[in-house]
Amino acid sequence: MSTQDNRKPGQGEVETTGHVWDQDLAEYNNPLPRWWLWGFYATVVFALVYWVLYPAWPIGDTFTKGLASVTYEQDGEEVTTHWNTRALFYRDMQTGEYAVRQRNMLEQVAGMEYAEILQDADAMSFVNAYAQGSFGTWCAACHQVGGAGVIGQYPNLRNDHWKWGGTVEQIEETLVQGRLGYMPGYRGILSDQQLENVSAFVLSMNGYDMDPAAVEAGERIFTGTDGGCFQCHGTGGEGLESQGAPNLTNDIWGLVDVHGAADDGERQRQVARFIGNGAQREMPAFADRLSDEEIKILTAYVHSLGGGQP
Amino acid sequence: MSQAATTAGAAPAASVASTEQYNYAIVKKFAVAAVLWGVFGMAAGVWIASQLAWPFLNFDIAQITFGRFRPVHTTAVIFGFGGNALFATSYYVVQRTCHARLWNDSLASFTFYGWNLALILGVISYMAGITQGREYAEFNWQIDLIILVTWVVYFLVFTMTLLRRNQPHIYVANWFFMSFILATALLHIFNNIEVPVGLFNPQSYPMFSGVQDAMRQWWYGHNAVGFFLTAAFLGMMYYFVPKQAGRPIYSYKLSIIHFWALIFLYMWVGAHHLHWTALPDWVSTLAATFSILLLLPSWGGMINGIMTLSGAWDKLRTDPIMLFLITALAFYGMSTFEGPMMSLKSVNALSHYTDWTVGHVHSGALGWVAMISFGSLYHLIPRLWNVNLFSLKLVYVHFFLATVGIVLYITAMWVAGIGQGLMLRAFDQYGNLAYTFTESVVFLHQPYVVRAIGGGLFLLGMVIMAFNIFMTVRSGIKAEARARQEAIEAEARTA
Repeated sequence: MSTQDNRKPGQGEVETTGHVWDQDLAEYNNPLPRWWLWGFYATVVFALVYWVLYPAWPIGDTFTKGLASVTYEQDGEEVTTHWNTRALFYRDMQTGEYAVRQRNMLEQVAGMEYAEILQDADAMSFVNAYAQGSFGTWCAACHQVGGAGVIGQYPNLRNDHWKWGGTVEQIEETLVQGRLGYMPGYRGILSDQQLENVSAFVLSMNGYDMDPAAVEAGERIFTGTDGGCFQCHGTGGEGLESQGAPNLTNDIWGLVDVHGAADDGERQRQVARFIGNGAQREMPAFADRLSDEEIKILTAYVHSLGGGQP
Repeated sequence: MSQAATTAGAAPAASVASTEQYNYAIVKKFAVAAVLWGVFGMAAGVWIASQLAWPFLNFDIAQITFGRFRPVHTTAVIFGFGGNALFATSYYVVQRTCHARLWNDSLASFTFYGWNLALILGVISYMAGITQGREYAEFNWQIDLIILVTWVVYFLVFTMTLLRRNQPHIYVANWFFMSFILATALLHIFNNIEVPVGLFNPQSYPMFSGVQDAMRQWWYGHNAVGFFLTAAFLGMMYYFVPKQAGRPIYSYKLSIIHFWALIFLYMWVGAHHLHWTALPDWVSTLAATFSILLLLPSWGGMINGIMTLSGAWDKLRTDPIMLFLITALAFYGMSTFEGPMMSLKSVNALSHYTDWTVGHVHSGALGWVAMISFGSLYHLIPRLWNVNLFSLKLVYVHFFLATVGIVLYITAMWVAGIGQGLMLRAFDQYGNLAYTFTESVVFLHQPYVVRAIGGGLFLLGMVIMAFNIFMTVRSGIKAEARARQEAIEAEARTA
């Protein structure tokens, strides 16, 4: 055994305390390791310094304030107080490097018209950077990161298909007051055969090759009083923005996965089922949740995603 | 006792105590329960870690989702594995170092059933969605009462045994066990002062609210770490390290100083879990500075354990049980350094609410608590059944699986936590926050996968240990039966 080689000088020569338990349990009485002791003293010094500088010990219903201080601005006046996290927060938001930069950019954008913002590369760069976080926090849960939406659920914001209009004014209105989209379900009002016919007509308007007899029958229902679809979607299926009624002729489908369907028969069944069920969709209002600047930035961002209308 | 008898796995034939002298039956029960809870609790941990990496694994079944299963995991490993291991070792150590049989067999037995009943009820209630929502104290008030009664009986059994000792001095391990039992009673009672909604209603209203309640919870939470997971396992260390090494404890003086410093300082630091919140700044400061003051007293235990092996370092080459014990002390030293650093407000601003905290907890929980328990149980169980350990090779396998598992786990969580912390505070050139929360979640996927693998290795080691222990206990029971049979036959022959 090499135990002797590893033994530090002096170690093991120390006496045990003389107590023995359980046949062989004993204790040496080595002195405290010096580095340990000095290390402990060092932490005591650290604590003392800390206590002198910062709020630390309670005294009755108050506490020691410490020597460190924070200066910040309150109601236009400079206030110096003992170090505390709230004052630190005020100071950071008032004079912190990033807070100042962001505030300057926000003020700049707030003072610009949409037309200017959309033309200004610097402003748009800020808008995109800001909206990455803001859109991610408020919008992406439904519209997804990047704004591509979910077919059958949430509108795609990256194309030029707009139910409620794609000008900056309309987008801002959508953000501020929210939107409530409603299409009644026609099951029970129209027979299954009639639903299939309307479906054939709607698909034919988008260039799908459907049975001519069904298309003709469907058109009569669409444009006549049986279905009355034209009242919102227009006689030519061009849609009506004031009602949030989408254009049915551009082969862009948000709520029915027409492009994902296997064949025209499947497409016809899916659209018919949708007309039978109807739909109700809500976009929440953000007027009370976001600042004016934030709504402005999100509007410009959404407008710039790809489908903004002049 | 001879040096040879204390080496790994060898049953100390000369020192076997008769069943009349010591109550081993209760120690056996708790030791086996610890192993079973260990397998279950660590499997639960790997399961929820996998859910974080691959969320589909919750299969839309409410009872097994992360939210409900996480307290199942923490309860099973801390109170099931750790708690049963502490009951087993404290009952064993107090008897052997007091040279006295445990006081009152039936009350000791009561602590076994009371404790494990409370845990099983807890696990079932969490899965059913019944929880107080207090971390590590999720038990509803009825279960709190079962724990309370069990704990008071535990205190009684332990103290009465100390009082009937045949030794003038109380061995250091027992100081730690005693402080653990007292402090845990204090913590459990004060953190669970609440007004039940009704006799048959699991819900209750906490006595305090707002920041006071948060402080109370983290006074409890951190002292659960301090007294349950640190002081108590130091008690374990103070018996099993010198026993396994066959050498005296390094320094009696150090053990006194660091014991009192540790238990005095720990009580102050809980509020460091609440930096940068509504907590008054002076409370934050005190918690941070006391955490720093706690560093060296914590290390006192590590020094005393590791230096005990000084002069017998060669044992690390030949004894896998010693490997477990010493590695545990190394991880203990590491995480008790990391903790005070994380309790400084500026570091905490980065680390808090990130997986760094999770990594820190596990370097303590896996590296210290579990490793020291593994080593102690490997020492203890062959002695309880008076046999040799089934396989020392499997102990080596367990050791390497556990160590690699921990290293993967901790490094993955450092990467995850620091990355996440940096992302959440990053600004772009305009002063905007650079990342959304979702982006930080996406970033976490890979570290989560590595963490699940690390946890899986650790679990595999635990399963191997369970097999090793099962085979050991089985051979013990067989040998016992054989001995009894021979005795009967011998008696028949003489008659």
